[in-house]
Amino acid sequence: MTERARFFDSLRRSLGREPGPPPAPAPESALSRDAADVRARAEEIRREAQDNAGPLSDALKQAAETAGWRVAVCETHEAAARYVADLAREIEAGSVVRSAHDAVERLGIERALEGSGVDVCTMALDDAGDAERDEQREANRERMIGAGIGLTGVDYAIAETGSCVIVARQGASRLVSLLPPVHVAVVELGQVLPSLDELFALLRQRFGEGDPQSYMNIITGPSRSADIEYQLVTGVHGPGEVHMVIVG
Amino acid sequence: MEPKTAQFEQGAAAALADPGVQQGLRGLYGGFHSARLTAAAATPDWEELRERGRAIKTHTIEHLDYYLEMAERNVRAAGGSVYFAADAEDAREYVAKLARDRGVKLAIKSKSMVSEEIGLNDRLIAEGIEPVETDLGEYIIQLAGETPFHIIAPAIHKSREDVSELFEDKLNAPRYERIEELAGEARRQLREKFIGADMGITGANFIVAETGTLTLVTNEGNGRMCTSMPRIHVAITGMEKVVPSLEDLAVFLRLLIRSATGQRISSYVTTVTGPRKRLDEDGPEEFHLVVVDNGRSGLLADPHFREALNCLRCGACLNACPVYRKVGGHAYGWVYPGPIGAVVSPVLTGISDAKHLPFASSLCGACKEACPVKINIPRMLLKLRNEISEGDNHPEERSSTLAERLAFKGWRAAMSNPAIMSAARSAGRLMQGPISGGTSGQQKGPGPMAGWTRHREAPRLADKPFRKRWRDLQDDAGESSK
Repeated sequence: MTERARFFDSLRRSLGREPGPPPAPAPESALSRDAADVRARAEEIRREAQDNAGPLSDALKQAAETAGWRVAVCETHEAAARYVADLAREIEAGSVVRSAHDAVERLGIERALEGSGVDVCTMALDDAGDAERDEQREANRERMIGAGIGLTGVDYAIAETGSCVIVARQGASRLVSLLPPVHVAVVELGQVLPSLDELFALLRQRFGEGDPQSYMNIITGPSRSADIEYQLVTGVHGPGEVHMVIVG
Repeated sequence: MEPKTAQFEQGAAAALADPGVQQGLRGLYGGFHSARLTAAAATPDWEELRERGRAIKTHTIEHLDYYLEMAERNVRAAGGSVYFAADAEDAREYVAKLARDRGVKLAIKSKSMVSEEIGLNDRLIAEGIEPVETDLGEYIIQLAGETPFHIIAPAIHKSREDVSELFEDKLNAPRYERIEELAGEARRQLREKFIGADMGITGANFIVAETGTLTLVTNEGNGRMCTSMPRIHVAITGMEKVVPSLEDLAVFLRLLIRSATGQRISSYVTTVTGPRKRLDEDGPEEFHLVVVDNGRSGLLADPHFREALNCLRCGACLNACPVYRKVGGHAYGWVYPGPIGAVVSPVLTGISDAKHLPFASSLCGACKEACPVKINIPRMLLKLRNEISEGDNHPEERSSTLAERLAFKGWRAAMSNPAIMSAARSAGRLMQGPISGGTSGQQKGPGPMAGWTRHREAPRLADKPFRKRWRDLQDDAGESSK
C-alpha cells in the first residue's frame, strides 16, 4: 500500500464509511454557489464599488489610519506623485523601487523625481529566456534590498479592515511591498470594496475563470510584533512605515 | 516533540513559583483577552459568524476525505506537490529527503505548530541543514532551546532583560535596554538568513479545497519572506485545516484573527497557490504541501472528540482559562497547551502520561465561551476524566479507588432519598465543628479533607435547610395571594 493509500484508508475508517459519491456541500459553505451565481455576484460587487466609490474611500481612509497607515488623499495623479517625491526626498530614500501597476504608471514618479538624485527602478522582467530572467531576478532582488521606498498599486482595498490587496503577477513583484523599509501603496477611486466578503467573492470568480493568482497579500498597516512583553514594535521584518495614497 | 505531559504537576509548580512567568501570564488577560472581547463586540453579527464557522467546520471535518482530495487535485493543478503523511516520521522523512535531494543548507521557518509537533528541526539538524525560526517569538525560543509557551505568543514568559541576555550570549549582541533595539537586532540577523536560504518552511492557517490555496495569517512579514525568497516552499499542516471555498475565508479570517489578537485583521494575510508562474516576477520554483495525520484520525474516529478538529488555533481558550493563566504553557508538556491542549494531547500522545491534563480545569466554561467555533471543551474534559477514572478504554488507567467509588455510591443514595438526606444533614450540623470555621476559615479538615480545606473556607450548614425555607416561602406566598 502506498503512503497515500494508507493515509486515506485510515481517514475513511475514522469517518466510518466506505468510499462513496462525493457529499453535497453544506448549505453554509459558499461552495454551494454555482459559477453563474458567482459571476452575477461579482458583477454586482464591481458595480457597487463604482457607484459607492466616494463613501467607500472615506471609510477606507478611516479604517486605514486606525490600522497604522499614513493616509494621503490626492485629487490627481500628479499630486500623488508629488507626495511620493516629497517623501523620498524627506527620508533620503536613495532609491525607489516600483511595480508596473497601472496606477503607478499613471503617477509618473520618474518625472516627479527628476534631478532629485533619487533613482527609480521598475521591478519588471523582460520577456526573455528563462536563464536571463533568473539573472534579472537576482539583480532586482539586490535593488529591492537596497531601496528606501517600495511603490506599488493595488488590486483592491478593503474598507472594513483598512487593507490593500496585492495579487502578485507579471509587473507586480512579491517583494516590492516587503523588502524596503517604507511601502507606499497607491489606491484609485473605485478599487475599494466594503469588506472581506466582497474581496473573496471576486477572487473566487477570477480563479474560476482561469486567473491563476499564485500569490496574494492582504496588507494592513506596518509589519508589527508584540512578542516581547506585549509591547508593539513595528518594522520587524517588513516595512515599518506604510503610506496609502488615495487618488481621486 | 517528545511529550512531557506526565510532568504537569512539577511544571505547574515551577511556573507558579516563577515571578517572571506570572508577570507574562498576567498580561494575557489584560492584553489578548480583553482585545478579543472588544473586537467581537465591534463585529456585526459576531454570534452568527461563530455559528456559521462552526457549521462549515463540522461539515468539512465530516467529509474530510472528500475535501482533502479536492485540495490535492487543485494544488497539483497549480503546479505544486502534495504529500499525505500518516505520522510524524513520514512527514519528517519527506521534508528531510526533499532538502537532501535539492542540496538545501539553510531553511527559514515561519511559525508552524505542526512542525513543532513532528520535531522537524532536530531532524533537519541531523541532516546537516540549519533550520532558523524567523517569527520573533519563535526565534527567541529557538535560541533559548525551549518550546513555545503560548500558541500565538511563544516567548511571552520572557522579559526584555531575558531576551537581551540571550542575544548577548548567543549572538554576541551588545546589551539592549529597549524592545525596539532587540527587534532591530533580530531583523538584521534574520535578514541575512532570508537572503541566503534555499528553503522556506511554513505552517498553514487554512487550505482552500476548491482552489488548492494555502492561507497564512502573520504580523511580522516573516511568513511573506519564507513564501517569496527561497527557491523551495514547503508548507506543513494538520489534515483538519481544510476549508471548502475561498469565500469561506472571509468568515474564518474574522473569527481567527479577532479571537487571537483582537486585531480586525492581521498585518498580512497571504495566500499561496502553487509555485510562481512563468511570468511572475519572483517566488519559489517549487511548492510542496505536507498534510499530516499523526493521531488526528483518532480524534476523528471518536464522536466524543471529533469536534476538537474544528480548532482554529487562535489561543483564545488559553487566555480565558483561569488555570492556564496561572500554570502557563510549559506545564502542559506538549505543543498544544491550555484547555484545547488538555483535550488534544491525551488523545494524540496517549492518555497514560497526560492523565493530569483533563483535571487541570475548573470546568468554568470560559474556554467554550471564548472559542470562535464554540468547541465544547468542558464536555470533552469531563469525558476524558470519566475515561480516566472508569478506565473505559484504558483499564490500566482506572484511577478511582474502591473507597472513592463506594463513597460516591453512598452520596448518590443519600441525595436521591429525602429521609436519608435530612438525617445526614442533622448529623452534619452537629459534627461540622472541627472543619467549618465560619468566617475565620483557619481550621482544617481532618485526614484526606485537609487538601481541600487548606485553601478554602468550609461554610457552616444553614440552621434552617433550604427545603424548609422553600416550604415556608411557598406558604407565605400562598398566604399573601389570598
